[in-house]
Amino acid sequence: MAKIADKVDLYDDRGNKLVGDVPITAISPLRNPAMKKICSLVTRSAAVNLAGLEMRIKTGAIAGKEMVIRGKTMNLDIVGKASAIASEMKDMLSVDGAAARVDPIMGGKRILVEVPPERILADYSAARVNTMAALTQAVMDVCNVDMWHADIVKGGVWGGYPQDPDMTGTVVATLVDVPIRNEGPGFALRNIPVNHIAATVRKRAMPGAALSMILEEAACYEMGDAIGPFERGHLLDLAYEGLNANNMLYTMVKENGKDGTVASVTYSLVEKAKADGVIKAKTKLGSGYTVYGTNDLQMWNAYASAGMLAAVMVNAAAMRAGQSVPSNVMYFNEMIEHETGLPGVDYGKAQGASVASAFFSHSIYGGGGPGVFHGNHIVTRHAKGQFIPCFCAAMCIDADTLYFTPARTSGLYGEVLGAIPEFAEPLKAVAEGAKKVM
Amino acid sequence: MPQYTPGSSIIGKNRRKFMDKSQKLEKLRDISEEDIVRLLAHRAPGEEYKSIHPPIAEMEEPECAVREMVEPTEGAKAGDRIRYVQFTDSMQFAPTTPRIRPMMWYNRHRGIDVGVLSGRTIVEGRERDVEKITKEYMDNETYDTARTGLRGRSVHGHSLRLDPNGNMFDALRRWAYDEKSGNVKYVKDMVGGAMDKEITLGKPLSDDELRKRTTMFRNAQGGVWMEGEDPEVADVISEIHWNRTCGGFQPFTARDKIKGNKGVGVKGMKLYTPKGGVE
Repeated sequence: MAKIADKVDLYDDRGNKLVGDVPITAISPLRNPAMKKICSLVTRSAAVNLAGLEMRIKTGAIAGKEMVIRGKTMNLDIVGKASAIASEMKDMLSVDGAAARVDPIMGGKRILVEVPPERILADYSAARVNTMAALTQAVMDVCNVDMWHADIVKGGVWGGYPQDPDMTGTVVATLVDVPIRNEGPGFALRNIPVNHIAATVRKRAMPGAALSMILEEAACYEMGDAIGPFERGHLLDLAYEGLNANNMLYTMVKENGKDGTVASVTYSLVEKAKADGVIKAKTKLGSGYTVYGTNDLQMWNAYASAGMLAAVMVNAAAMRAGQSVPSNVMYFNEMIEHETGLPGVDYGKAQGASVASAFFSHSIYGGGGPGVFHGNHIVTRHAKGQFIPCFCAAMCIDADTLYFTPARTSGLYGEVLGAIPEFAEPLKAVAEGAKKVM
Repeated sequence: MPQYTPGSSIIGKNRRKFMDKSQKLEKLRDISEEDIVRLLAHRAPGEEYKSIHPPIAEMEEPECAVREMVEPTEGAKAGDRIRYVQFTDSMQFAPTTPRIRPMMWYNRHRGIDVGVLSGRTIVEGRERDVEKITKEYMDNETYDTARTGLRGRSVHGHSLRLDPNGNMFDALRRWAYDEKSGNVKYVKDMVGGAMDKEITLGKPLSDDELRKRTTMFRNAQGGVWMEGEDPEVADVISEIHWNRTCGGFQPFTARDKIKGNKGVGVKGMKLYTPKGGVE
């Protein structure tokens, strides 16, 4: 198998060079320390809604508002005792020298939990269930709950579990969902709605797309899609689309910012690919139309992926609305294929996924919206890696024109995760991480 | 300079003309802005635009580099609601088609969301941007008064036979044909609601004229037969097909190194319909 020899320069979201001559292997989620930390924290972090737990136990709505058991109520000062509860949880979740992080926030209404990596032996669900178990035990201890009332606390914390393995109504939220909610093996990191990511980066489109793509591509590694000779394609896509490699994404958005359209970005990208020697004229047809060819489809795909995200950014930002992603993806790819004869992003799969995504994001089938999209769905899971960052970027740009806004669906994630530097500034963190493994 | 799309026939040329924003589309009529508002039925003529957020200049936008680089449209700047316009194009040689409309609009307009569903094409956008697009594309050569319809709902008709005067079927009877003058007028708005006045769109183009202006390959009724008369279009589609297929298999292997018969359905393709199609 040929060694991966490509190098790129990494730039931030304002076109400043962060680090040059980075071998793309240094931005692999298997090697880059910042990416490893992001993926690890995503699976190990949990947000506890203590105020919600207190209210549920008080009203008997133990597994959400539709699951009320009258008489099964208690008045417990859970929020008031948040510090004591957090302290007990920390003792229980820490493993010898590896301390768990259990911090009460918002005056004790919430607790941020990071279980130590040592807690997870095989299944990432350990983070969630151990947090729930520790919370149950801590509340019972701190609030002196006896055996006859223990079920109320347990129901309040665990929601509909175990009758419902989805844990409907639980007060413990994690970014990754329970394994049965995954479309298939390796999908855990793709099962995060883009609004959570948009809120985490404080609605900045380029860092949002970067964080979204890091998680998507990490999942591609986990699902066996980036194996052997396929790995180079994934790394190039991640570099050019997600990490603004060679400042190409930034430049295309800037050049087309004032009066550009989806089509003008498409043609900018084709010119760039020609100038960089990625594509070359192959044959000339009767009308004068030139069919282009390439010796490096993986590099072409990376260029096309960056162009697709730039087209979405330019159109969505002109509209200051996030709804146009599927259509922009569809016609960026359609026009680039018509312009060159070369394949669209992920060899036609981005375009294919865009059709059904348009239906699902425009209330034609049910009441979804682009903000709650993630890569873990039958209509979005192809293309792998390149597609979902476009949704995240558009939701960052949206001026609250949609029903599912980041503020509405993901405020808690934004407050909690946005405080972690790797999540808030993924472009910078990945560049710093790359320096360590170059 | 982009090449837009292949084809040496009149269809290829028309497609490129519609997509190329440096080419001005011919204006065939002039519907007043007030009548456009009537037809769309999103607001009453003279009524102020409703907004869903304050003007962008008054909002505190996040410190996002993309927002700073990209200028919002007039409608977005003002915080207009998202509204839509939708056109149905008859398969009987309407000037444009759902195949071409999105590529035409994405070349010529920014800040829009275009969707195609069988015979109709919708474009969503900020209200004043949508009104501008509606006026432009009801006035210009992409709209024929008989073969194109402004239809918000009950859009069907694109694949049906025409009436004796050459008009496309409309279940809601939004349009009426004046046999004396030969003009088509709209008597109901885009969704079939009542209007306070009728709006005359004008005379339809002749069949010969439509065949010269259409962007549709059609192997029937004197249309251009793509496979037989403009094969380079099918050749490029075939090229895209094989690039997708081989890239989807092993993007790191050159196409000519992948074994197997890759000529299926391309050269010497057996066509079961003769020139002129089967009526």
